[in-house]
Amino acid sequence: MSAGRPVQRWLTGMAFLLPSILGFCAFTLVPLVLSFAMAFTDWDILRHNIFHHAPVKFVGLENFIRMFHDPQFWRDFGNTFFLMLGLPFAIAGSLVAALLLTRTGRRRAAVGPALVLATLTLVASGLVLLIGGMPEPAVWFLFGTLAATVLVAGVLTGGTLYRTLFYLPNFTAGVATFVLWKKLYNPHSGPINLALAPVLDGVAAGLRAAPHAWAVGLPAVCGGLGLLIIAWQARRLRSEDTDSGPVATAAGALVPAAPLACGALWLGNSAAVAAGVAVLGCGVVAAVAWRRPRRYGPPLEAAAGLGTEFGLALVLVPLLTLLAAGVALGASLPVLARTGFEPPSWLGDYGWAKPALMLMALWAAIGSNNMILYLAGLSSIPVELYEAADMDGASPSQRFWHITWPLLAPVTLLISIMGLINGLQGGFEMARAMTSGGPAGATTTLSYFIFIEGFETGRLGYASAVAWFLFVLVFVLSFVNFRFGNRHAND
Amino acid sequence: MKRTFLIALCVLTVASVALVLTLPGHQGTAPVLFWVTQNDPVKRETIAVFGQWLAQQGLPPVEIRIDNTGQVKNGTTGEPKALIQGASGMGGDLIDVYLNQMELFQATGMLTDVTDMAREDGFDYGRTYPAVRSDFVIEGRQYGFPRNVDVTMCWVNRDTFARYGIPLPPHRWTIREFEELGRRFIAAANPPGSRHRVFFLNRVWPPTLRRSLGLSTFNETLTRCTLDDPRNVEVLNLLYRWTVEERLLPTHSEQEALAADATGWDSSFSLFASGRFAIIYEGLWALIRLRPKGDLHLDAVEPFNGGFPNTEFGTGAVAIYAGTRHPTEARQFLRFLASEPFNLLIARSSDSLPPLPAYAKTDAYRRPPGHAGEAEVKDAFAAAGRDIGIAQSKSPFVLPSITFRIDTEAIEEVLAGRLSATEAARRTTERINAEIELRVRRDPELARLYAERLAIQRQIDARRAAGRPVPAAWLFDPFHLAYYRAHGWVEPEVKP
Repeated sequence: MSAGRPVQRWLTGMAFLLPSILGFCAFTLVPLVLSFAMAFTDWDILRHNIFHHAPVKFVGLENFIRMFHDPQFWRDFGNTFFLMLGLPFAIAGSLVAALLLTRTGRRRAAVGPALVLATLTLVASGLVLLIGGMPEPAVWFLFGTLAATVLVAGVLTGGTLYRTLFYLPNFTAGVATFVLWKKLYNPHSGPINLALAPVLDGVAAGLRAAPHAWAVGLPAVCGGLGLLIIAWQARRLRSEDTDSGPVATAAGALVPAAPLACGALWLGNSAAVAAGVAVLGCGVVAAVAWRRPRRYGPPLEAAAGLGTEFGLALVLVPLLTLLAAGVALGASLPVLARTGFEPPSWLGDYGWAKPALMLMALWAAIGSNNMILYLAGLSSIPVELYEAADMDGASPSQRFWHITWPLLAPVTLLISIMGLINGLQGGFEMARAMTSGGPAGATTTLSYFIFIEGFETGRLGYASAVAWFLFVLVFVLSFVNFRFGNRHAND
Repeated sequence: MKRTFLIALCVLTVASVALVLTLPGHQGTAPVLFWVTQNDPVKRETIAVFGQWLAQQGLPPVEIRIDNTGQVKNGTTGEPKALIQGASGMGGDLIDVYLNQMELFQATGMLTDVTDMAREDGFDYGRTYPAVRSDFVIEGRQYGFPRNVDVTMCWVNRDTFARYGIPLPPHRWTIREFEELGRRFIAAANPPGSRHRVFFLNRVWPPTLRRSLGLSTFNETLTRCTLDDPRNVEVLNLLYRWTVEERLLPTHSEQEALAADATGWDSSFSLFASGRFAIIYEGLWALIRLRPKGDLHLDAVEPFNGGFPNTEFGTGAVAIYAGTRHPTEARQFLRFLASEPFNLLIARSSDSLPPLPAYAKTDAYRRPPGHAGEAEVKDAFAAAGRDIGIAQSKSPFVLPSITFRIDTEAIEEVLAGRLSATEAARRTTERINAEIELRVRRDPELARLYAERLAIQRQIDARRAAGRPVPAAWLFDPFHLAYYRAHGWVEPEVKP
């Protein structure tokens, strides 16, 4: 080999790489460095541009200090985190979708029942349309027909159709999806509210017909269900087979705190009483959960099972809070029903706008790349493990919690880190297209805030400072997640 | 691999050369100007008439192409695309600049100062309505010429009022009359037990309502926000009552829903024509949207007032981009805006009042072909522009788009029940004044202007406290100028 050959090969390689390197430098590296420098200056597009050459002043940490004193920044920071509350549900949804889509081999057996169910749905939808006329029943008809078609086609073609359908949102262009959802959410003519209106009318009529039954029955049912869930949580934590260490058990015992406090407050109690109720509830759960020594294996680490408890808490706390609302609202519902119930103003109401965006994001996230990653993860789990579990008489739940869930932990970790990064950086396109950040800034996220400061008011220095704060936040949270989660994922 | 790479490189090079050769300007001899505006029939006709006008004047032809990407519908928010492109040297040759954008664009230096050329070519600001000058003249310098001069009125659908047996509103009416008539209408149009689907009015413009009570967003010298005033609290409480309690107006969510039913403001016109809005608060251009809705019996009345009748009056101006490669042709276009063919075109189209007031008296404006019955309404708009129209209050110390965003958020928070009117008024004022303080602190030139204005403000305050009139030249806020004149608080003006 000649002495010049490695150099020649290196040059050839660089020639191939050069376009990519130049592109990276021009469109990523230089803007990145520039924005970092801008974060410490008073760069304002009104005064520093191709026509105005006022000297750019170094302002040190002024932009960052201003950011921490800016109420709008904190509001949008809160909005960003609120919207990210949907992340665990999105991950859980992707996992459930992936699990459902891997269930194959029962196609022939399911064809008959599916056809019967589809026919019944179609006939029922048709009857509703025939009796009720247009337009609300037409929506039900549409939904019914769609559901029946998907069901029959899915059963006949196996999992392929479902996989395609679930992945469909990922193919659809963002803005087109937003416009579609905007139509769906329309309070007057949107299919969601057209479908909800008769239901709410029916509920209101039912409440008016039997006010006392509802006033007593609803709180009783909600209260009973709430107690059952709390008891289940205590029993689960107390179980000898649990994988939760002391810290995780304590965290699990705290689950009823917020719902109990909210319920007490809504029932008209003072904050002190509400706090007392919450402490009492948590105390009872903690006392019950004080379990006997573990039957098998070595003692658990203190933080073992914390991730599972956190994930469960994200489901249980909202559910218990809803039930607490049912207890508190029960008595006043018949009074409210006198004037009827209006379907929500999804995008225009301050209270509903954020949940509406979360719902839409959830729809898009369930069938996204997360589902594909889970499908890949599921296919890599050795079948022998399930067969061994079957021979040991494991139930489906035990198979999931002791085989599937632990072996999917690396995938879950990756998905949660990516979700965290996307969640912190996201929300701009959705809010810009659907709500313009409103009402009253309810859906303005940090990325939207950066856009407003940078391109609507021209303060590029300040916008850069917020962008770099966001970067640090993403970096720190991802790092913590990676270090903490990776340890458990690889156990 | 190397051959593939070389082939790809050659193909890309050839494609690039082909692209450059097919760019506008390479095909014909006429220079090509890009006009950042909406792509609608009036603009397309404007371009055609401009071509004819050039030929009549014996000038060489010019090709104008519309660049409508990223245009806003109502001009109330800053448009990032035009700003970013303009500030980075890539702007269109001609730019439509709406109410809130002028200060933003002018501050970047991306607009050409046309004061001298306007004087030479006869499109100086003296040729249009004095009340809209502040929309294209900043600190005495002119940055464009009006393309459409718009005044906002209350459009009344007489058929809707007749359907519910409610008397028509008078041409000039008060807040109390509005409330009384509105309550009667809503009660008649939305019987108990039915969902509320019919509204009295589509929207209110809060600054107009505040002005009718004698309050402006800023003080006389535009150095401080003055919305922490009981009159603003009253306006916010009225908005809450009309929107949430009495349901005379749709809520924000209902407005969103209606806007989602159709593009832009179109939904308002459809609902107005079908009787779901008894009154809509829009400009003359509404006629273009209402004409296709059938034979409506329309009337135009002034916005209801709390003692000082007034309405929005403003203009969308065409400005020349400072980085244009065709300044001569762009200048010709502005000259064309002050010409008879263009003013007759605007008069015929009903897009707005013609930029030159004299053309609002022509038959082309009052009775355009095929719409002879519109004279009464057209006269009402022309009279409103002349008598009660006032331009927006815009401070040089804070961007209008920021003021608008802060004010809108506060109003939405009141309507959502998250803030009391008093708290909202206080917060709005604090936020706007903080923005003023920040901008003045960071811009030395602005700081000097601010100091001068503060000195004037102190003199105004002293004179007003002593009950003495002030010179008109001290009043930089268009509302205060009109209000002081109406109350005789201005020193006698010597007319040249």
